[in-house]
Amino acid sequence: MPVRVLGLSGSPHRHGNTETLLDAFLEGTREAGAVAEKVILRDLAYSPCRGCNACHKTGNCIVSDDAIPLFDRILSSDCLAVASPIYSMGITAELKGLIDRAQFLWARKFILKTMYFSDDHIRKHKGLFISTAGLSWDNVFDAAFPAVTAFFNTLGFEYYDNIIANDMDRYGGIRGHPTALAEAGEKGRSVVGVIARLHGE
Amino acid sequence: MEIKVLAFAGSPRRGGNSETLLDWVLQAMEQEGGVAIEKVVLTEANVNPCRGCNACEKLNKCVQRDGMDYLHDRIVDADCLILAAPIFCMGICAQAKALIDRFQVFRSRKFVLKLPVVAPEKKGKRMGIFLSTAGQNWDYVFDGAVPTVKCFFHVVDIPDRDIRYLMVNGVDEKGAILSHPSAKADAGRLGRDVVRELGTRMGR
Repeated sequence: MPVRVLGLSGSPHRHGNTETLLDAFLEGTREAGAVAEKVILRDLAYSPCRGCNACHKTGNCIVSDDAIPLFDRILSSDCLAVASPIYSMGITAELKGLIDRAQFLWARKFILKTMYFSDDHIRKHKGLFISTAGLSWDNVFDAAFPAVTAFFNTLGFEYYDNIIANDMDRYGGIRGHPTALAEAGEKGRSVVGVIARLHGE
Repeated sequence: MEIKVLAFAGSPRRGGNSETLLDWVLQAMEQEGGVAIEKVVLTEANVNPCRGCNACEKLNKCVQRDGMDYLHDRIVDADCLILAAPIFCMGICAQAKALIDRFQVFRSRKFVLKLPVVAPEKKGKRMGIFLSTAGQNWDYVFDGAVPTVKCFFHVVDIPDRDIRYLMVNGVDEKGAILSHPSAKADAGRLGRDVVRELGTRMGR
């Protein structure tokens, strides 16, 4: 069975730097034989988490919208690529809105203990964070990592790698960056190979 | 001259821990007197996320027509800007992140168009307060939120030295902050200190 890859594009800006970098990654995974799909978060209708904590008792979210079937798709993927540009030193509100909605899965895992991922499952499920930032600062992605780490932890994915490129303002966009797109393609090919080998063991 | 305070309650949960912390600060400010407070509940304020269109870099205004139309002038006019928001999944909740990202119009004004953001008599006098609560007890639970909050304040001419923080971890269920040993006293002290400092700055 081919490796299933799901890319989430968290940018409100279609075909911008981050989505282009995600596309290069997904293309790399396809070259390695994966079935790769892309979801544009801004095209979905979902509301942010209401913080009602009802899921802490039931394990289910009281809000029924596009986020719920998306989590089913995420959980049936072998590789999850989460993409967002950096706005105000963090991920976009669209992506944060989705991440916060994973609370019902967090509750199943940590409060109700009705969901469990074995070490073997986590090893075979790889998560990558894809991001671009206009600023040149080395630390411009640092504040985004904790939420992405929490997201992959909740969903049973190993936080496998980052594909990140800063200084977009200087390069005049991702296509002007000397290495980022080639690196994204290479990482796409390589992660699919790694997952396929783990499946073969 | 009254001290104008604009406070955002960023949590989707009404009357929860971060909003309680905010109410304690606002009560203490009110008791100092001479303060005009406006509290905005973000879930009712109709602030959509930034579309990333960058039009504000040319237009000096946002292309979206929503709750920010009402808030824009109040943000510029406030002497003290307060953001209260809980930590969800190791970051600031999505509702507050949407407001922060909409400050892009101020960032464009300040850094791209090089136009003033606040009136000259207010420059260097404004103060900001970030209030937050988190369910987890980890001491690094606020680390992902702070850089974002700094952007929020920096773009409206409130530099690091004028930002005050009160962040309380280990409070999860609604009302948990009520039994926290020091949060209420800390919030009261913070509210009083900031009003006194602003009073001095404004020559009262």
